[in-house]
Amino acid sequence: MSCEEARLQIGADPAGSTPELEQHLQDCGPCRQFRAEMRTLDANIRRALERPPVASDRPRITATWRPWALAASVLLATLAALAVWLLYPSDTLAREVVAHVQQEPDSWLAQQHVDAQSIDSALRGAGVKLDITSDRISYAQSCWFRDHYVPHLVVQTAQGPVTVLILRNQHVRGRHTFHEQGMSGVIVPSPQGSIAVLTRSGANLDAVTAQMQQDVRWLPDAH
Amino acid sequence: MRNSQPESPVSSIGERLSGADPRASITQLFESMRPDLLRFAQWLARDRSLAEDIVQESLLRAWRSRDTLKDRGAARAWLLTIVRREHARLYERKRLELVSLDEALESQAPAKAADPEGDLFTLRNAIMRLPIEYREPLLLQILGGFSTDEIARELALSSTAVLTRLFRARNKLRASCGMSPAPDVPTSEAAP
Repeated sequence: MSCEEARLQIGADPAGSTPELEQHLQDCGPCRQFRAEMRTLDANIRRALERPPVASDRPRITATWRPWALAASVLLATLAALAVWLLYPSDTLAREVVAHVQQEPDSWLAQQHVDAQSIDSALRGAGVKLDITSDRISYAQSCWFRDHYVPHLVVQTAQGPVTVLILRNQHVRGRHTFHEQGMSGVIVPSPQGSIAVLTRSGANLDAVTAQMQQDVRWLPDAH
Repeated sequence: MRNSQPESPVSSIGERLSGADPRASITQLFESMRPDLLRFAQWLARDRSLAEDIVQESLLRAWRSRDTLKDRGAARAWLLTIVRREHARLYERKRLELVSLDEALESQAPAKAADPEGDLFTLRNAIMRLPIEYREPLLLQILGGFSTDEIARELALSSTAVLTRLFRARNKLRASCGMSPAPDVPTSEAAP
């Protein structure tokens, strides 16, 4: 019997014995020592096993899955934060736009068109020019909104009045529609800000929105 | 090779039965072994609640198959085998380690404080960390009192493969106790 065979036998069953093993041990001091050590170890293993392991009663999550679970959690948190970052400003902006329009209920009632001078006055300080013909605009005011003057216009359409707020300093990342307080609206991004268009009569906003995106000229610097 | 008769920490069912009432029901017999089965299952599954489930299911299976148990003296080995297979079924079904080992080991911290012998605590941790392919035959041998050939049959391995696994299991535990491990042996995992 070789030392390798002897150690395999001893390691597999330290208490075991065969004539071949005993004969080998008579002539091999290292293997004798190995058996003595393994018998001591085996006695300790038996003592260790006398008591059941103290195991966790917590939910069973695999150690190998834990990094993935952690990564998934981080990803979800990131996505949630991103969603809030993307959506929250638009929602808030829409709410504030609606609140502002509600504060000027008379704006919806104006029927007569305002003259070009009044329109220019409404645009003053907002950093924009407007190419739209004045005979369709029935209301034009320069309103204080979010620390800036913004043009507040009402444009008459075949389906009823439509309110337009030209928001040079309010940036949105995409088209955002909303329905709030009996109004429907859309906020669309523009090269240097955004444009909010609202109706309370169910008018189709697409045409007015497209018209405003085309007719509003953004000046280099706001005053 | 037949293993020596181990001084199993599991109390011998033969001893229990020697003075037992021969009319004792099979239910009582099974129930009397529940603590030993539970300990065996806990060392296999490393989780108490999971081990309890395994033992409960095993006893149910045993009860359904009670007619196949001809010799009550063999009940212990029979039941341990059922527990092992139930654990293996669960392990296969889940295809994963069912317990966070870190959590399980963390939960042993109080036991360490109460255990004056740090080496024993280290050894228990090392046994917990043994891969199932090494832990299982070791538990069958020490807690179950199975011989190498019996383990080989149960695990569908060759006797040489079982010897190798037992050797490696102890060698790993030896290393964990700060002793120099013996040179490894060639792998022999062929089924009989």
